Amino acid sequence: MPAAYKEQMRHSALPETTHDELARQHFVRSFKEHLVHQVHPGLATAYEKRAKPSFEATHQRAPETIQEVASVMKQDSHYQVWSSLLRTSQEMMWSSAQLPVERSLSSLIARARKRCSTGSLTLDPKLPIPAYHTAVDIHCQPGGYHTEYTADDVAQGAIYDRAVYLYAMGQMGENNADMGDSTINWLKANYPDFSPAKILDMGCSVGHSTLPYASSFPAAEVHAIDVAAPMLRYAHARAAAMGFPVHFSQQNAEATSYEDNSFDLVVSHILLHETSSAAIKNIIAECHRVLKPGGLMLHVETPPYEGMSPFDTFLFDWDSENNNEPFWRKSHQLDLDGLARDAGFDNPVIKVMAPSAFQETQRSMTFQGGDFGGGGVWFIYGCQK
Amino acid sequence: MSSAEPKLKRRAKGKRPFYFSDPDIDRLLSMLMALAGELSVTRDRLDTLERVAQAKGLLSQADIEAFELDEQALSDRAARHQVLFKEVTRIISAELEGLDDSDATEYAEVVAQVERDD
Repeated sequence: MPAAYKEQMRHSALPETTHDELARQHFVRSFKEHLVHQVHPGLATAYEKRAKPSFEATHQRAPETIQEVASVMKQDSHYQVWSSLLRTSQEMMWSSAQLPVERSLSSLIARARKRCSTGSLTLDPKLPIPAYHTAVDIHCQPGGYHTEYTADDVAQGAIYDRAVYLYAMGQMGENNADMGDSTINWLKANYPDFSPAKILDMGCSVGHSTLPYASSFPAAEVHAIDVAAPMLRYAHARAAAMGFPVHFSQQNAEATSYEDNSFDLVVSHILLHETSSAAIKNIIAECHRVLKPGGLMLHVETPPYEGMSPFDTFLFDWDSENNNEPFWRKSHQLDLDGLARDAGFDNPVIKVMAPSAFQETQRSMTFQGGDFGGGGVWFIYGCQK
Repeated sequence: MSSAEPKLKRRAKGKRPFYFSDPDIDRLLSMLMALAGELSVTRDRLDTLERVAQAKGLLSQADIEAFELDEQALSDRAARHQVLFKEVTRIISAELEGLDDSDATEYAEVVAQVERDD
């Protein structure tokens, strides 16, 4: 059963909701919990009792690839119901997060404008939005990260902040900070003397994972970049509302304006799977360029597919085809050592599972579509320069 | 809803997958869940009302049965019904919104594009 119901921290940049708007969001969260805990478990039964025997009858062996599992599971009625409901829950989630923002956008923008004294915000309206963001709206957020509806727009950021809490069903803590917090815990346990003076967070969106660094390394100068202006405006307002001075800047992680050898720590959180094969090479190379010698690169993702059974991989791969995550599959099957080597890193490559810092998270250690943050561990990929 | 606020896109760009042999089943399921959602919203509101009223010692069953709707209450309710219909039939309107989109890129092409090495 899901953990006790906890609400998101109500910082002052978060959109206000009417009674019914909030009730609609609560329903979506309950819907998602129902799918994870009541509907998803039946998939294994459907596979063992129906889909797998049907494959074996034809091929005289069990399915060995995602495609082979898919060939029978996509015909299974329980898979069809689960997928159809999960896709619908995703659409309802965005809709429920959009309604209060659409109703009150001008006041959200006015509130964000007032908070400009903490940290900084540098926008570049000429920055091209990469094709891997514009081809489809990633994870089905209408308008993606980047769409702007009006001047000084914060809509996409405000929607994202709330939707991520619903998406993870609170499993990333009251500030959606679990990926940052967990990485810092791992960092402090494994590099106890590491005290970064300058930190860069790539693909920061609204700063869920950025602020933990500002909080844990209060003496450090924290920079955060993203390609999407509405995310950054909201991120800046949110960081200020929560009292953290962060320098937000609209830049593409593939080619930043920072000087060579300028950061002690470069991090990203669920950035890599939303890029492309070409972009990821540029990003790792850019990490190497901006890191000081001895500096650390750490990218946080869900774990690679290697070692998972074909059935588990098929379910974990659901987002690739069903939630507008076109690079999800390939990004979980990369030659991570080769990527680091090609970018100039010589030290041993870091590929570890870091336990969730959020104690309430049930550590199921399993990864499944529709249960983001529910595994209780994060995968860290990185290298020291 | 204030008419001064911009209208947000309600459909995510990208071809929506359907799962049943007849996509109308997916559409119906989507509407059914939206309807369940709106029912839950209503029940939550009722729950709030009852808890507040009870805490203040205000509620009695007789008061509820004797209540008469005035014009304002009727208009408020009618406006809420419109929100309910929009939510329940969202999948239909989103598809219509999609018909105006100029992007005709097939999803497989998008995958190939991001997986390309050069």
